[in-house]
Amino acid sequence: MTARFAPGDAVRVRPGAKPGHVRTPDYLKGRQGRIEAVLGSFPNPEDLAYGLSGEPGRVLYKVGFRQEALWSDYEGPSDERLYADVYEHWLEPGGER
Amino acid sequence: MGGGPAGPIDRVGHEPEDWERVADAVNAALGKRGIQTTDEHRRAIESLPNYRDLAYYERWASATEKLLVEKGILTEVEIDGRAAEIQRRWERA
Amino acid sequence: MSHGNDHDHAAVTGSATSPLAARVRAMEALLIEKGVLTEAEIQDNIAYMDSRSPANGARLVARAWTDEGFKARLLSDGKAAAIEFGIEAGASPEFVVVENTPGVHNLIVCTLCSCYPRNVLGRPPDWYKSFEYRSRAVREPRAVMREFGFEPPGGTRVAVHDSTADVRYMVLPMRPPGTEGIGEEELAGLVTRDCLIGMGVPSAPTG
Repeated sequence: MTARFAPGDAVRVRPGAKPGHVRTPDYLKGRQGRIEAVLGSFPNPEDLAYGLSGEPGRVLYKVGFRQEALWSDYEGPSDERLYADVYEHWLEPGGER
Repeated sequence: MGGGPAGPIDRVGHEPEDWERVADAVNAALGKRGIQTTDEHRRAIESLPNYRDLAYYERWASATEKLLVEKGILTEVEIDGRAAEIQRRWERA
Repeated sequence: MSHGNDHDHAAVTGSATSPLAARVRAMEALLIEKGVLTEAEIQDNIAYMDSRSPANGARLVARAWTDEGFKARLLSDGKAAAIEFGIEAGASPEFVVVENTPGVHNLIVCTLCSCYPRNVLGRPPDWYKSFEYRSRAVREPRAVMREFGFEPPGGTRVAVHDSTADVRYMVLPMRPPGTEGIGEEELAGLVTRDCLIGMGVPSAPTG
C-alpha cells in the first residue's frame, strides 16, 4: 500500500459533486484539514455500492478539521476539532488557512 | 445531513422487537453469503425518494427489498402477497 | 426543519404486527423457502447480535483502567484486545478506541448512516440513529451534550469523530476519581453505553 499523504500533511477535501454513493459528507467538501493517521487500504465503497469489487483498494485517512473553519456559528473553544475518515481520492494537497 | 438544521433529539428509546432482530439478521446473513454488501444497502437507503419521511427500519426494509428485487431474488408481488397473508394470519390470531 | 413525530414513531411502525413487521417476515419466509438463506443462519445472526452489548465495552474499559499494558493494546488494536475477552468483532469493519484525557473529550457519530461498533456493543440507541443527532452532533456537540444533561469538564476540548468509512469508534472514558479500591467488575458497572459514545462520563459510585 502506497499512501500519498502522511500524518501532519495539510490536505483539502475535493469539492466535487460525484453522483451516487459517496462516503465523503457534503459538509467536508472543499474544506481544509490535516492528516491525523493513515488507516489502511479498503475496497472502494463507491464501487461496492453497485456490486463491483471495489478493487484496487483505496487508502483511507483520519483527517482532522478545525470546527471553527467548518461552521461559522461554532460554539466552543477555537481549537476544537472534528475528525472524519476520508478516502485518498477525495483529498488533494492543501494549505492551512 | 451533517451540520444541517434539526430540532431536539428524542431521547426515548425502545427495546428491539423480534421482527427488528430478524431484519438485522437477514441483512447480516445476506452479507455473509456475499449476496449483498453493507455498501449496496446504504446506497439503496440513500436512493429512497422519501428517505426523510421514513423511520429507521422502514428505510432498512425498503432498501433490502429494493436490492432483493434488483438482484432478481424476490419480486415485489411475492413480497406483497406474503406480507398480506401474514397480516391476515395475525389479525385472525 | 425537523418533523418531530415522523421519524421514530416506533409505536406506530414498530409494533410486532404492523405492516412493516409483516413485510420483513415475508422477506424472511420467502428467502428461506427459496433456499437463499436458512432459518438456522438467521437464528445464529440474531443470537450473535443479541450477545453483543455495552457490557462488552464496559469490560474492555475496566481492564484498560487497571492494566496499562492492556490499555496500550486496546488503543493500538481494538479488535485484537476484544479477542482477549472472547469478543470476536469479525473481519470488517475496523474497531478503534479513542481515549478521553483531561484535555480531550471524544464524541462519536455517523452522519451518513448511523454506523456504530455493533459487533462489540450491539445495537445503537435510537437517539444515535436519529436525523437530529446525525445533523447536530458534528456542528454543535456541546449543545447536544447539554440536552443530554452532560457538560464536559472545564478546559476540555470536545473532539467529534464522524465514522464515515470502514472504522467504528468507541470511547475509552477516564476512570472516575475515588475508585482506587474498586475491583474490575464493579468498575465495569460504572461504564454506561452513553459513556462509550461520549454522551457522558462514568460517575464514581455513591455511598
